[in-house]
Amino acid sequence: MTSPLFPRIDAAAMASLLPFLVFVVGGLLVLLVDALAGKRRLPWAWIAAPVPVVALLAAAVRLGAVSGLTPRPTAFGGQFVEDAFGLYVTVVIALATLSAVVLSDVFLRRMDRYRGDYFALLLFSAGGMCLFSSSTELLSLFLGLELLSIPVYILSGFFRRSLESVEAAMKYFLLGAFSSALFLLGGALVYAGTGSTDLAVALRGGFQPGASGLVLAGGLLLLTGFLFKTAAVPFHMWTPDVYEGAPTAVTAFMAAAVKAAAFGALARALVVAGPSGVPTAAAGFLWWVAVLTMTVGNLAALGQQNIKRMLAYSSIAHAGYMMVGLAVFAATGARELLAAVLFYLLGYALMNLGAFAVVILWGGEKEEHLEISDLAGMGWKSPTAAVALALFMISLAGIPPTGGFFGKYLLFRGAVTQGFVPLVVIAVLNSAVSVYYYFRVLVALYMRPATRPMEYAPSVAAGAVIALCALGVLVLGILPDGLVPGMPSSLIGLVREAVAAVR
Amino acid sequence: MGYSYAPLLFVVGFALVIPVAFVLLSTRLGPRRPNPVKTEPYESGIVPIPAPERKFQVRFYLVAVSFLLFDVEIVFLFPWAVRFRSLGWFGFGAMLIFLAVLVLGLIYEWRKGALEWR
Amino acid sequence: MNIMHYLADLLVRSLFKADPATWPYTWIAYAVVIGVGALLAFAFVAIFAGPVTWIERRIAGRIQSRIGPNRNGPQGCLQWLADGIKCWLKEDLVPATADKPLYLAAPYLVFTGMFGAFVVLPFGAHVIAADLNVGLLYILAVTSLVVVGLLMAGWGSNSKWALFGGVRSAAQLVSYEVPSAFSLMAVVLMAGTLSTQGIVGAQGGWPWQWFVFRNPFLFAAFIMYFISAIAEGNRTPFDLPEAESEIIAGYNIEYSGMRFLFFLFAEWANMWIMAAVATLAFLGGWQIPGISPERIAEAKGWTFVGWQALSFAIFVFKGTCLVFTIIQIRWTLPRLRVDQLMITCWKYLVPLSMGSATGVLLLMALVREGGIVDWVMRGAMLLVGLLVAGAYIRKVRATFMADRDNYKKMEGRDLWYPPYRLP
Repeated sequence: MTSPLFPRIDAAAMASLLPFLVFVVGGLLVLLVDALAGKRRLPWAWIAAPVPVVALLAAAVRLGAVSGLTPRPTAFGGQFVEDAFGLYVTVVIALATLSAVVLSDVFLRRMDRYRGDYFALLLFSAGGMCLFSSSTELLSLFLGLELLSIPVYILSGFFRRSLESVEAAMKYFLLGAFSSALFLLGGALVYAGTGSTDLAVALRGGFQPGASGLVLAGGLLLLTGFLFKTAAVPFHMWTPDVYEGAPTAVTAFMAAAVKAAAFGALARALVVAGPSGVPTAAAGFLWWVAVLTMTVGNLAALGQQNIKRMLAYSSIAHAGYMMVGLAVFAATGARELLAAVLFYLLGYALMNLGAFAVVILWGGEKEEHLEISDLAGMGWKSPTAAVALALFMISLAGIPPTGGFFGKYLLFRGAVTQGFVPLVVIAVLNSAVSVYYYFRVLVALYMRPATRPMEYAPSVAAGAVIALCALGVLVLGILPDGLVPGMPSSLIGLVREAVAAVR
Repeated sequence: MGYSYAPLLFVVGFALVIPVAFVLLSTRLGPRRPNPVKTEPYESGIVPIPAPERKFQVRFYLVAVSFLLFDVEIVFLFPWAVRFRSLGWFGFGAMLIFLAVLVLGLIYEWRKGALEWR
Repeated sequence: MNIMHYLADLLVRSLFKADPATWPYTWIAYAVVIGVGALLAFAFVAIFAGPVTWIERRIAGRIQSRIGPNRNGPQGCLQWLADGIKCWLKEDLVPATADKPLYLAAPYLVFTGMFGAFVVLPFGAHVIAADLNVGLLYILAVTSLVVVGLLMAGWGSNSKWALFGGVRSAAQLVSYEVPSAFSLMAVVLMAGTLSTQGIVGAQGGWPWQWFVFRNPFLFAAFIMYFISAIAEGNRTPFDLPEAESEIIAGYNIEYSGMRFLFFLFAEWANMWIMAAVATLAFLGGWQIPGISPERIAEAKGWTFVGWQALSFAIFVFKGTCLVFTIIQIRWTLPRLRVDQLMITCWKYLVPLSMGSATGVLLLMALVREGGIVDWVMRGAMLLVGLLVAGAYIRKVRATFMADRDNYKKMEGRDLWYPPYRLP
């Protein structure tokens, strides 16, 4: 391996960075066009949309290219690793970005804030996510974290004149900056204790019996940084306010992409650290985090009237389900659980993007129809979208035949196999609780008479996103082991392979 | 090597000691008869109303942020400039890309009106 | 070898009859010599800044058809001493509402920032307090302490004029830092080192060996550096922070006595630093035409000292010429408005200085040094430089002559103002 200080950057390294480069260069180009366009209104979404598509294709191509490759392609002197795991997360990120771009087109036009730099920020953030989820080194991890976070802070405050939006941005920025600082401090402590910023070297060696408390403290602080981005209890406080205040398209992006990147990075860190790198205390801590996250998210979601806020708490709850997988993996090292988490991530991203797409579609001119009671009667007024929303809610509740069900099934089965019965019991109870508030949406849709007329402009773009997400959720639910077009093996096989590729 | 930085210590020492000594001397030599009117902040001799607010325009922050960005780039560029001859065409191309991104930032700032002083 | 080490070794050898390499107390001798050197640098600041204020006021008087200070000493040449002593005898006022720690500490920071830069200025072939390998970067870094000091002064005074002056000053200083650093980067590219002596050493004694005449981009970089330096020194036409007509006196309005003097002192010292950096980076520094640095280093005894003195004189002469140019500019040009100031920096100087650095880069990559194209470029630039200098001298001389003729016509008349001659 070359020295990390003066890494060779050759064609192979560039190729391994391809999705990241596509996002960043695409963002720069959009920025340039925006700067040169002046006050002219260009179809920004259609300028930006090819970027995630190209990144998606690049990731798919590389996914085919890297499978079974040893040694794995790296860049920046081994700080950035390209493997099936990272590319799978990249695919999820690219999908979420593409949907966010298309939804933003609908949303921003309506809110009259159709600006080019918005899309550039989305792309930069996606680039940061690629870096974040594929880094095996503390500094590049931090770089990715910042690159993904800072644009999202700006995006959540994109409606400068809306108090909620500014409040969301401020809260997210202050807490996010704080958690980034903690993450950096953790990295510094780990480095101070072990003399290496390489995750594998630092954590594997750092947690040997008799290791200094410095490394343990550093590791916990690093974990804090990850948990903040995944919105896990007790670092979830920002989520409801930010999800509610941020522009809905950004909320969809955060719920799908940021979460995928954060879980991807955390899972990779746990794998790279290895069984010896995750002390029993940390695994126990993750157990509690999982339990608390599920329970707090679900209980708080029960009383929500605002649909964005309800989805925010539901996203906390889902972070809890995924945390079950990570907690079991941290304790036992069973990779089956990581594969389940990866599967869950895709399903979760699809159903959330779809749900937010419907929320955007029905939101009204000034985003005034965001209460659950506003959905009353929509089942008869706008049957197609309503069916899709119902499908997403069923999937979120984890009822077959949907992707949400299969994700939960894989997770819980894996946990039971590993002997974590109490954890699974809590999780199943939580799922049962969650049915109540998801079905409130269904009740409003189909069993309540429309209280007031709700006008909305139909949109082909939003409709396409909804349709594709619904299709994805159904395919994941009905044919989880079936064929994914263009892929050599099934999706479950793919995630297993991806997880096996991480070292 | 160690000696090459020693003068810095002396200079900083002198730069602190000499002014402090001068000011102390001046407080000994000069009169010291403050009164309430004399110690008011200067406002043409008239009692300042309202009390001075420490507010200034937000565009100073904009300048500060632009400066931070560019100064960090410059700090990044200087070591490269020193080693430029030995880095060859690779270093040349890499830095041209870096400069291009920097210029892009400047163009963006410019077109977005961050450089206007309105 | 550094002159400090040379002198310290000499001291040890002659005074204590010991071998400096083995004598255990050599470091004390070094410390003493270095301390004296630093003190000398301080003395240079004081001796330079003082009389230059008087000279500036006399020149200002000449330009504005008035006399200027001429009472204390022959032609008023002791005016600066009188001013200094006056400041000593003034009351040291601290406004009641001031933020005391900030208010009291600000002048020291400003002064330290200015004075710190003197350590790495190469006054002569070996006359330098410390030849740091990061010299130029050190100057940029340490002079930014001044910004902090000015902000502290403005904020700590708790007066609106001081605050406006302080933030204006800080905004101006930080803005113009960017083009000046880019201009210097062009030089660093050419020299391949940040050490001030290294940069001087990369040039030569003759004008065609100076960086300023190497190629058009460096010439442009020199001019842009000079403009930014004037702006960083808060000198007219960029003296917005202390525009009397707008904000009375700027950040130093609440200061009196010695503390006030330190701000002025720092301002004049800064003028010299900027001129010195321009000299060392673009105008060949102390290089003596026809004498290679190696020859100076190999010289022994009084020849060595003589070369040092000559190189010192050359450096100070070049620097002083620039200082006088700055002074002349101050009393010739009107002040800019704030928006013009910022536009000049961000919309003209920053892109142009980036362009000039890139241009130098391209020329270095494409043109072989010492090749025919290189020499044609140097010759052409030298010609341009000579033409500019010639035109400048001719214009100044013509103005001077016309002025003198006007006064000749006045001779013998009964005037209500006293006729005068230049000192």
